[in-house]
Amino acid sequence: MAHELANIYKSQDVVVCRMSKIAIISQPDQGVLIDVSGCNTMQEAIEHLSSTLQVSSQFWKGSDVALNLGKLELAPPQVAQILAIAKGVGANPQHVYADSPTTQESLAAHNVPLGTGTPMSLPKVALDGAQHDYIQEEDAAEGSVSSKSSEEDITHFYETQDAGKETAIPESIETTTSTSDSSSEEAASKEPKTPPLPAVLYLRQTLRSGQTVSHKGHLVIIGDVNPGAELMAEGDITVWGALRGIAHAGIGGNITAEIRALKLQPIQIRIAHAIARSPDQRSIKYASDKFTGPEAAKLVDGKIRISKRSVQ
Amino acid sequence: MSGRVIVITSGKGGVGKTTASANIGVALANTGASVALVDMDIGLRNLDILMGLENRVVYNLIDVVEERCKLRQALVKDKKLPNLSLLPAAQTRDKTAVNSEQMKVLCNELRELFEFVIIDSPAGIESGFQNAVAGADEAIVITTPEMSAVRDADRIIGLLEARKDEIKEYRLVLNRIRPAMVKNNDMMSVDDVLEILSVKLLGVVPEDEEVITSTNKGEPVSASENVRSGLAFRNIARRLRGEDVPFMDLDPQNSTWFSRIVKFFNPAVRV
Repeated sequence: MAHELANIYKSQDVVVCRMSKIAIISQPDQGVLIDVSGCNTMQEAIEHLSSTLQVSSQFWKGSDVALNLGKLELAPPQVAQILAIAKGVGANPQHVYADSPTTQESLAAHNVPLGTGTPMSLPKVALDGAQHDYIQEEDAAEGSVSSKSSEEDITHFYETQDAGKETAIPESIETTTSTSDSSSEEAASKEPKTPPLPAVLYLRQTLRSGQTVSHKGHLVIIGDVNPGAELMAEGDITVWGALRGIAHAGIGGNITAEIRALKLQPIQIRIAHAIARSPDQRSIKYASDKFTGPEAAKLVDGKIRISKRSVQ
Repeated sequence: MSGRVIVITSGKGGVGKTTASANIGVALANTGASVALVDMDIGLRNLDILMGLENRVVYNLIDVVEERCKLRQALVKDKKLPNLSLLPAAQTRDKTAVNSEQMKVLCNELRELFEFVIIDSPAGIESGFQNAVAGADEAIVITTPEMSAVRDADRIIGLLEARKDEIKEYRLVLNRIRPAMVKNNDMMSVDDVLEILSVKLLGVVPEDEEVITSTNKGEPVSASENVRSGLAFRNIARRLRGEDVPFMDLDPQNSTWFSRIVKFFNPAVRV
C-alpha cells in the first residue's frame, strides 16, 4: 500500500488518529490537539505539522487547536514558523504545551498562551487489546469477498463512465499527474512517496448539503454525509455512517483508493478517473430502507465495483 | 426581560415561511404574548397580505432603518389583536437596502418592546437570508416533505449550525404533509425527513385548502376553530412557549366511520 497505515482508534470518548510521529486527538468539548512530541527534531516536527495542517480549510479554518510540543526545544524564530503555518490555514493555536523551559520562553516571547495541566494524550491501551473500537485500513486483497462472488454481492448496479481527463481536481489539492493515461505503472512509481506521509483527516460530524471536505490523504468521517455534500481525498474515504453525497477518492491518480461506508447510498462515486452513479430509481424512504450492511467500492479493471465488507 | 427573536427560514421558496410566520404570530398573540412580525422579504413583501393589513401600511422597515420615521410609526397593529404588530417590508426597494448591522440594531430595539419577534426570512442563502438571521437568537426551519425542499433545508441548517454562537436553537416544522400519500409511500414521512435533517421537530402541519382561502381573505387559519392546519399552528405556538404538546394524529385511517359516511354523501365537507 502506498500510504502508511494510520491507526485510528477510539477509547471511550477520545478519538485518536495516529501516524508514526504525529497524532491528532479530539475529545468532545475539548477541541483538537495535535501532538508532535513523538518527533525527534524540530525540522521533523515542522514538516509533519505543515503536512497535517495542509488540509481543507473547512476543517482547520477558524478552529482552535492545541499543540503538544513535548520535549522539543524551540527558539523564537522556530515558534514563529509554527505559528505562521497554523495561521496560514486559519487555525488558531490556543494552547501550546511544552516541557522544555527554552521552548516556554520562546513561546512567551510570542505571546502564545501556554497550556496548563496535562494535555490530552494517547489513551494507554495496547493496539491489539480488545477494549476499544478499532477501524483498520485493510489491504484490499484481504477483503472477505472474492472477486467472483462480488458480482452477486452487488446490491445496486452502478454504471461506470470513464471521465477521460480527470475531472475537476480541486485547486486546494496539488497533484503531480494531470492526465488520465496514468497507468498502474505510474501509480506504482508514486509509491515510494517522500516523507512526510500524508496525515489522515478524521472528522467526527455529519456533513450537510453544501459542505465539502478535501484532503491530501485518507479521509475518515464519523457521521453521515448528506446528499449535496462532497468529499474529496487523494487516499481512501471511509464513512462511518451513511454516505449519501458525492465521494471522490484517489484524486491524483491513485487507482487503489477505496470508498467505504456503513450505508453506501451515494449520488456519485468517483475513484481516480472513473465515475459511477447510483441507479435511477431513487427511494425516498430513508428511515425504513433495508440496511444491507457495510459496503466498499474500488476500481477493478478500470470499473468501479461495490462489494460487501465486514468491519472487524 | 427581553424578548425572543425567532427567524423563520427555509432555503427553498414556497414551502410556507410567510404562512407559518403569520399563523404562529397570531397563535402566540392569542395566548396573551406581545408579538411583532417582521417581514424581511424586501421587494417581494407578502406578510402584510396574509395578515390582511396591506391597506394600513404607511411606513416600512426601510424607512425605519434609513431613519425617516420612528419604529413605532412603522409598526402596524393587527385588526383584531392589539398585542400583535407588523413591521412591513418595502415593496419598492430590494434586499440591498439593508445590512446585517442595521438588522441587529433593529432587532435589539424590537426585543425590548415585544416578548416575541418573529422574522419572516426570504428564500435563498444570500444577503436576504443573512440579513434576516443577523439579529435572531432562534430559528425555525420550514420544509415540505419533498426531496428538493429537504435538500435546501439541509443546506440552511448547515448555515445555521455555522452560526451557533448567535443562533442558539433551531427546530423544524414539516409543512403541507399529506398523510394518505405518506401511507402509500408516495411522500416522505416525518421519519424520512428527520433521518436526513436530524434536528428537533417543532411541529407537523397537514396540507389544508383552508390556507389558500385564508391567504386571500387576509385571516390566518390559526385564528379559526375546526381547521386542522390552524390547530397544528396553535400547537406549535404552545410548544414555543415551553408547553409539551403531543403531536397531532395525522393518520387518515383514524377518521371515524361517521366522518367517512358524511364524506361519502358530501365530499366537500371537512371533518
